[in-house]
Amino acid sequence: MATMAVSLVAAVGIAACSSSGSSSSGTSSGSASVTYNEGTTSVVNPSNQKGGTLTFALSSTPDSFDPGNTYYAWVLDFDNLFTMPLFTYKSCPGTCGAQVVPDLATDLGTTSDNGLTWTFHIQPDVKFENGTVVTSQDVKYAIERTYDRSVLANGPTYYQVLLADPSYPGPFKDRAKNLMGLSSVQTPNATTIVFHLVAPFPDLPYVLAFPNTAPVLPSADTGTNYQLHPLSTGPYKFQSYQLNKQLTLVPNTEWNPATDPNAKQLPSKIVVDMNVNQADVDNRLLAGDIDIDAQGTGVAAAAQARILSSSSLKANADDPFTGRAWFAYLNTKVAPLTNLHCREAIEYAVNKQTVQTAWGGPVAGGSIASTLDVPVIAGYKSFDLYNALSQPAGDVAAAKQQLQLCGQPNGFSTNLAYRSDRPKETAAATAIQASLAQVGIKVTLKGFPSGSYYTDFAGSPAYVHSHDLGIDMGGWSADWPNGFGFLDELVNGNTIAPTGNTNISELNDPVINNLFTKSNTLTGAARTAIWSQIDMQLMKDAAVLPMVYARSLDYRSPDVTNAYIWDQFGMYNYAVLGVKS
Amino acid sequence: MIFFIIRRLILTVFLLLLVSLITFAIFFLVPRLAGQTPYELAAQYVGRNPIPSEIKAVEIKLGLDAPLYLQYGRYVKGIVLGVHYSDGTDVSYCPFPCFGYSFRNEQPVWPQLISDAPVTLSLAIGAAVLWVTGGVAIGVLSALRRGSFFDRFSMGVALAGVSLPVFFTGLIALELFSYKWSVFPNVHYVGITTNPLLWARNLVLPWVTLAFLYAALYARLTRAGMLETMGEDYIRTARAKGLPERQVVIKHGLRAALTPIVTIFGLDLGLLLGGAILTETTFSLPGLGQFTILAIQNQDLPEILGVVMIASFFIVIANMIVDILYAVVDPRVRF
Repeated sequence: MATMAVSLVAAVGIAACSSSGSSSSGTSSGSASVTYNEGTTSVVNPSNQKGGTLTFALSSTPDSFDPGNTYYAWVLDFDNLFTMPLFTYKSCPGTCGAQVVPDLATDLGTTSDNGLTWTFHIQPDVKFENGTVVTSQDVKYAIERTYDRSVLANGPTYYQVLLADPSYPGPFKDRAKNLMGLSSVQTPNATTIVFHLVAPFPDLPYVLAFPNTAPVLPSADTGTNYQLHPLSTGPYKFQSYQLNKQLTLVPNTEWNPATDPNAKQLPSKIVVDMNVNQADVDNRLLAGDIDIDAQGTGVAAAAQARILSSSSLKANADDPFTGRAWFAYLNTKVAPLTNLHCREAIEYAVNKQTVQTAWGGPVAGGSIASTLDVPVIAGYKSFDLYNALSQPAGDVAAAKQQLQLCGQPNGFSTNLAYRSDRPKETAAATAIQASLAQVGIKVTLKGFPSGSYYTDFAGSPAYVHSHDLGIDMGGWSADWPNGFGFLDELVNGNTIAPTGNTNISELNDPVINNLFTKSNTLTGAARTAIWSQIDMQLMKDAAVLPMVYARSLDYRSPDVTNAYIWDQFGMYNYAVLGVKS
Repeated sequence: MIFFIIRRLILTVFLLLLVSLITFAIFFLVPRLAGQTPYELAAQYVGRNPIPSEIKAVEIKLGLDAPLYLQYGRYVKGIVLGVHYSDGTDVSYCPFPCFGYSFRNEQPVWPQLISDAPVTLSLAIGAAVLWVTGGVAIGVLSALRRGSFFDRFSMGVALAGVSLPVFFTGLIALELFSYKWSVFPNVHYVGITTNPLLWARNLVLPWVTLAFLYAALYARLTRAGMLETMGEDYIRTARAKGLPERQVVIKHGLRAALTPIVTIFGLDLGLLLGGAILTETTFSLPGLGQFTILAIQNQDLPEILGVVMIASFFIVIANMIVDILYAVVDPRVRF
């Protein structure tokens, strides 16, 4: 009891002492020249000043810090602090940041064998944090281990589709082959790695920009425990990690900045507090106690109001596109939406303004969308087939005209699937229901749990057909910022699957399918031009009802240096941040 | 007395087994009765875009294809001896005491529980000290000054304390003392072994918030008990004997009034040690309460099962201690 009392008194004492120190940096606006949204187009507080502690917090937890076992956008961004994958995205603000560039690799590689073979060289002088020189075998091993989904279940599965031996079991079950049994990836020497594909795939460098190509030293691989301390090749290394609670990074002394121009080593310590409730994250952020919300999905409603009503706080905020689109699939196999004009009636009739409000309004929700593709994706072109931008409250006259053409002049009935545990999606579904009722389209809302939405309900064509789910809510972010990365899984007829289906419209338009096939034979501007053609065609098919291009209101502490939105992830580039001492 | 304690210990073990059996049945038997297949259950444990063979491997690895009584037997055996999860080629070992293996985190549950328990322990014990001392002192003074301004004021505050939820008082405390005035800036948990002063500083607000809720209840209970006790004949006798008032109040009045307080304290503390969910969430303290919330959000059944077991353990143990204390105070309960 006495100890407790002494601690309490002492605690109050040190709290009082520390209060004056932190409040001064709390809500100041930092440099006078800093403005709202500056981080979306330029570097805020550029500096090479070293030292200080950069503090992140977030309301959730990572899927894994094992670079071979993650798919969360913020972790993919954060991993650049302690990994060097073969490729990364250029460290610069705006659309510049969507360019894939070599990281561990020396260049973008060469192709041969009609695009079936890719050869890359890696930098010879990159080291792990323990001083061991990185070899191409370490990269191959990193890729091999992702094949074992019983150990690394979370990451992408592109290699199984792209490479020649999809049934390779992974090195944890393949020890007899000296951990190097994946025949479609070869390492003729310590700095060369060769990939053999089953079909030409021009986007391979984007796939190799996932952190699962960051080298892993086989002798240091602890399987499921590797997430607790991955061996660093980046500017920082793990000092301590309490699973799902707190991570502390310190500078990696073996890192050579000359080999990694897209990252910096400025703070002397980086701390990440996890599982902090969102209101606490926002308040600490605004009070200056933490520097960045690592999750990168923006502040919650209460903090939004505070930021937008205060010029000093607003100057430290950015409102970028997140790269995500919110939309509704219009299923082409569920009557009466099998008729194009019935689908077009929906496109015209929906009030996009009320839907936008449901998603959180123009700042934290998103901009009204008229296309499926989003503005940050290479190849995006703006067009407005259904007057979403010119008549955002809905074009009732045009909708009624389409109903006549579809043979349902008094409207029709259909069901709408949505994730009932997502408040914004629920509100958007209700807004769609209300606006379609104005033209006689009676929509019955069918809510499902998000955990099984794609596996058992909207993503199961059999279930969709048997339950007449004509309209199905959806959202999408690209794995890489071009039209293939964004559109292929959504509208390519080849991707319709019996479960986990993401082409919920079940669109199997030969024009679109052929454009995707053609895209694999093209490069550069010719290939980029394909994406807007696909976007236009799918909108002509009225297979998707675009709702909003998502935005988030992000706050950066005025103490943070080198802050800018990295377009690939729609959040700050964590690998270059510093703090004012 | 020894036999009484042994009896209670044996009963405690049976009680914990019963809790584990019921919890296990809720998580694994009920879904099966509702039509969920072991394959569908296993699908919850694999990552994105799994292929059927991966789901099957997890089903075998977790033993979900075995009869339920065997699965329960393996669970209990794991607690005592540890267990290997194997699909024939890949083996994950969960050492003693194995309270399940989280295939979301790819980690055994027990080390996570152990790592979170000190946070909850710090919060609950610190707050308990405050609410017992504060609540009982206010209750006694209110009873002795019945009808005074102090009595009415303190009972009014107590009523507010009982009525206001932790997530309200906690947020107000954070807004004022952390975000606005920075008396306790950047509240986050620091281990007592890392820095005892920071540990205490960061826990002051959670302690006071939690203690405010409970102290109010204890003050009202103590006041009622004291009013009743101080009206008893033996108190009048004690005064008639010429005992000092302090001795009458503390030795004769308070001691008798504390009996129900001890009972409820044991239950409250036991419940809190299993995870002060609201307080931990409000102050973002990574204790058992937050662990529980995260486990529920992730539908991580082994973790939920583990936290239910540890919460039950604390409650059962707290009850046992209360029973033993009762037996010391009143020998009639031993029989």
